[in-house]
Formats: sequence, structure tokens, C-alpha cells
Amino acid sequence: MVPANEIHDFHPPIAPSGLFWVVPVPEGALTFSEDGSSFTLEMRNVTVIDQPRFPALDSIGTPARMSFKLVGKSTGEPVKYEDASKHFRFTGNRASCKLEAQVEVPSIGFSWKSDPLSTSKSDFAIMGEEINGRYYDS
Amino acid sequence: MKEANSIGVLRRLFGNVGLSPTRRDILKSSAFALLPFATALPNQPSPNQQPMTANGSTDPYPIPWLDKFGSHNQAAGLNNEPGHIYHFKGRVVRCNSFTGMGTDNKGNRIAFGAPSTDYGVMQGEYWAARTSQQGTFVHI
Repeated sequence: MVPANEIHDFHPPIAPSGLFWVVPVPEGALTFSEDGSSFTLEMRNVTVIDQPRFPALDSIGTPARMSFKLVGKSTGEPVKYEDASKHFRFTGNRASCKLEAQVEVPSIGFSWKSDPLSTSKSDFAIMGEEINGRYYDS
Repeated sequence: MKEANSIGVLRRLFGNVGLSPTRRDILKSSAFALLPFATALPNQPSPNQQPMTANGSTDPYPIPWLDKFGSHNQAAGLNNEPGHIYHFKGRVVRCNSFTGMGTDNKGNRIAFGAPSTDYGVMQGEYWAARTSQQGTFVHI
């Protein structure tokens, strides 16, 4: 599903373990509202790579930095996904999310900044609780 | 590396069959013969090294399932596993298909987003290094 006109693709490298494009969140970067129905995640200068030709195996990743703010809010519509064969259960709600970001690729002198948060949208979002693996049966 | 050195030594020792080795040949061969032992030394535990546990990394495990690209990644969507960490229980946010606009450092207006533009947030307990861990992670 990579668009033909894609010119940049920013993400963390895949970890040696296979963990896919996942990085730790610093203390205090993620906050939830008291009732858990909304959240804000804001991170600065995350080490990422610019890998426009992913998923090609020989796609080159150029070191880059990314800062972003992701906000989300539950719509209240309940959702439950469960697959016993895969040992996971998710219980939560549909949500709406918005994103603003800026990226920098120093080696090619490129930087880019998104328009304000309110101008973005996502077509799919959920938030809730997941249990999987060894915790699924306990 | 060690095998290559050993073969080199064998060739040096027996390559000139029928000829008596000179004193120089013997000295050279002896020096090379020590290489396998010399290169093996760093692999031995140092007497000064502190005892340590060996329970594996505290990094989270990826989910076992593979996507069509061979990655431990699940597309966000109905009935799909929302997290990227296995042996996990906690809060999860999953969202994708972001779209928006932005401007580069040359003033060009460049759109962002695709169906695969996704984020995932995971906060809670996970199992690694043979025990439970606490952490917060984001899939970007």
C-alpha cells in the first residue's frame, strides 16, 4: 500500500529481535485524561530512518530525526477483538486521532513540517486494553 | 579465522616436501602456529569479570505473526491485533490512514499520509528477561 508518489518514509529501524518500528516512550511523554478517554503523546527528536523504498529488502535507510504530537479521543463506541488461536484480546472503544509532525534528514538538507494538528485526520483509531501471549490465559 | 590460520600453518610446514626447513621457516611457522591460541583468548571469561545473570534482553518480544512483507507487523484494522508487543497486558492505542499537509524547507507543499501511515501506543506490563517488566512504547 505504498503510494507510487511517495518520496519519504520515516520510521524507526526494525530491532534485532524483529520488534517492528517500536521505540520506548520517555517518562512523561504520554498522558491520559483522568477518565482514560483521551491521550496526548508528544516526542522530540526521535531517531528514525528515511526509507522511501520500504518494504524492498535492499531499501536504504538514511538517518533522520522526527518530532511529533499525536492526540486521540474515544468516541465511546465499544469494540472487542479476540482471537483465541493467536492468544490476544482487545477491549476498548473506537477513537479519533490527529497528528502533527516534523522531520529532518541532515545528510540531504531536507526538513518538513506538517500543518497544525487540527488539519490532520485518521480513518481508523481504537483505544483500550489488550492482553496477549502468556497473559491471555491467566 | 582460526581455520584459515591453521591451514596456512599446515601449508607452510608441509608444502615443501623433501626439502629441509631452514631455521627462518621454523621460526615463521612457530609464530603463525600461535595465532589460533592468541585469537581464542578474548573469548575466554576474564578472571576480573563480574558474575552476571544471563536471562536475556529486557526488550519486548515482537508478536509472532508475520505480515505479507515478512515483518512482525499487523496492519491496523477491524479484528486485527492492535499491539506490536507479545506477552503484554495494558493500554493500547492504534490508529492509521493519517492524511494531512505540510511544507518542506524549500517552501514546497507536500502531503503526508497513506493507508499504512500508522501509530501504535502500548503502555503496561510485558514479559521479557524471564520476568515481568513495565514500559511505554510507540510504533511509528
